[in-house]
Amino acid sequence: MTALDIDQGEAPASARRGGAALEIDAVTRRFGTFAAVDDLTLTVPSGAFFALLGPSGCGKTTTLRMVAGLERLSAGTISLAGRDVTHTPAHRRPVNTVFQSYALFPHLSVLENVAFGLRRRRARDVRARALDALELVELTHLAQRRPAQLSGGQQQRVALARAVVNRPALLLLDEPLGALDLKLRRQMQLELKRIQAEVGITFVHVTHDQEEAMTMADTVAVMNHGRIEQLGAPADLYEHPRTAFVANFLGQSNLVPGTVVEALDGGRTLGVDVAGTRVRVPADRSIAAGPRVLVGVRPEKIRLLPGDGPGVPDGDNVLGPGTVVDTSFAGVSTQYQVEVGGVGTFGVFAQNVGGAVHAPGTRVRLAWASPFTFALDGHEEVAAGTVDLDDEP
Amino acid sequence: MSVVAALGRSTHAGGATDGATPTGPGAGSGRGARRLLVPGVLYLVAFFVVPVGTLLATSLYAPVPGGELGQFAPALRWQNYPEVLAQFWPQLVRSFGFAGVATVATLLVGYPMAYVIAVRARGRPGLQGLLVVLVVAPFFTSFILRTIAWKQVLADDAAVVTALRWLHVLPPDGRLSAAPAAVVIGLTYSFLPFMVLPLYASLERLDPRMLEAGADLYATPLTTFRTVTLPLSMPGVVAGTLLTFIPAVGDYVNSSLLGNNTTTVMIGQVIDARFFRLLDYPTAAVLSVVLMGSILVLVTAYVRRAGTEELV
Repeated sequence: MTALDIDQGEAPASARRGGAALEIDAVTRRFGTFAAVDDLTLTVPSGAFFALLGPSGCGKTTTLRMVAGLERLSAGTISLAGRDVTHTPAHRRPVNTVFQSYALFPHLSVLENVAFGLRRRRARDVRARALDALELVELTHLAQRRPAQLSGGQQQRVALARAVVNRPALLLLDEPLGALDLKLRRQMQLELKRIQAEVGITFVHVTHDQEEAMTMADTVAVMNHGRIEQLGAPADLYEHPRTAFVANFLGQSNLVPGTVVEALDGGRTLGVDVAGTRVRVPADRSIAAGPRVLVGVRPEKIRLLPGDGPGVPDGDNVLGPGTVVDTSFAGVSTQYQVEVGGVGTFGVFAQNVGGAVHAPGTRVRLAWASPFTFALDGHEEVAAGTVDLDDEP
Repeated sequence: MSVVAALGRSTHAGGATDGATPTGPGAGSGRGARRLLVPGVLYLVAFFVVPVGTLLATSLYAPVPGGELGQFAPALRWQNYPEVLAQFWPQLVRSFGFAGVATVATLLVGYPMAYVIAVRARGRPGLQGLLVVLVVAPFFTSFILRTIAWKQVLADDAAVVTALRWLHVLPPDGRLSAAPAAVVIGLTYSFLPFMVLPLYASLERLDPRMLEAGADLYATPLTTFRTVTLPLSMPGVVAGTLLTFIPAVGDYVNSSLLGNNTTTVMIGQVIDARFFRLLDYPTAAVLSVVLMGSILVLVTAYVRRAGTEELV
């Protein structure tokens, strides 16, 4: 073990705020002719809780493994804390990983698992620091156990302590909560956020669970086919999706094709024709270049109005009338599927705040405030990013 | 054993003692399982307990005064033990020495082989199968033939010795035939598959993600091997060394065929000569008992120390 390229001091490298903890520049990884990661460029600022979100096979885990040094690059460079590590072997990178399978060493006690990295770096006070890390995940009392004697959730926390104890410049989490049941997963999400805030290490979290990504990360990068579709704060991604994939993968969206026919309000609003009905879209929420667009609105933004009732507030978009084809009562809200002739089927989430529940067969109109409307490029696939039943949960 | 097969019931109650644990629910089936043990117990009594008892008794026999060669009478002649040990302790010590060196050598040769087959060739079942067959293939020819072949390989004018002399590894008049080295080389070769196969079985189960975790936690490949791979393969190492060491201690084919009958004589050779040629049954029996006892003590100590029960 010659000198490691690791900050041996107490302060994590990521504590030097302002710099980039991770820079991925034009990285490609091919397996045969298939590009698992395709010309990916990405910067993760120090101290961030960053999520790489995408369906299985989108290249997110391959990206993570290349950052960790466990996978070769076909092209491009990777820098950690300002240092090019493209050709640095895994054991000399200031990075630690929480593996999806935890990969705890079965022949070592919990304490020795946590101490493993410290011992390899010949750190001082190994035992005390390992116990500190176990305290962080509240497992001090199990220090002498073997990993096989712990529950899944406990193993997960040992894996986290084993990585965090080294105070890496970057902590990689590869679907760390994937093997836990829903309740434990929610609990661990909060726990992870607390720990990240406490230690101040940059976290890069890979997940296919959009809710997990949005609740935990301060920045989310949505990946698809080895590329980044869109990157931003969770709320920003949700409210301003730029592709049909993001609109559908992050929450749900109603996307219907339309044609831009006029500019209103001095160009600040677009008038879009959707199957004969005029819909208003804020110009700054349209990213379409040509007249063909996909008009989108989130299900929770839509209100259901009686099929033949009085008018709606000025400036609201109205479609319909259509027919309720499905009603699912879910306690806090009710989900409707409404079929509008010539346009398509809309999903609607209605908060149960006292209004009537519309039974299937009811004639209704769909209304929403026009600022909630967005428009995407009309050449995109409407169903991109929707979850098939065949896909993993 | 055929009785068990004829009953058409549990097949592993036959020869092994691990069938003793009743697996079915309820006391009635426990009694049934115990009944299934009867053939196995009878077999062991007839072919293990009685012979060992006879062996122990024979080791205490005394020569008949004025009797012919090979004539002994039942007795409790305890001084057989100190007398025989005083005469043959060098051969006994040499047997353990040769077997120990050969076991270490098979481990050093076999571990890389098993590692390549189990870890490097992982994901290519065809290649793995081929390599395992290559390890086992020599067993399809006779043990004696293979040992005689080694005699040719290690002969004074053969390529190996010539090359080693040319490289000055051996002095100009150095030889490998009829030397302790030849016996150890023969033992190493003979028992190599017994080392490789358990190691392979153990390394096959090694999770490659463990190695990645080691690298991720700042361990060099060598350190990962020392701290992760080797400890996780300890069950294979223990099994392999036992399967090599125990038969190697008692082996006499290699020392007879590759040795020189003086400085290479192992205890198996002595037992063979005493029993079949000199008809000195008590001495052969004493040596057999001592051999069994020392192996038992050594192996128990080794397994305790290796602590395999703590391993996964």
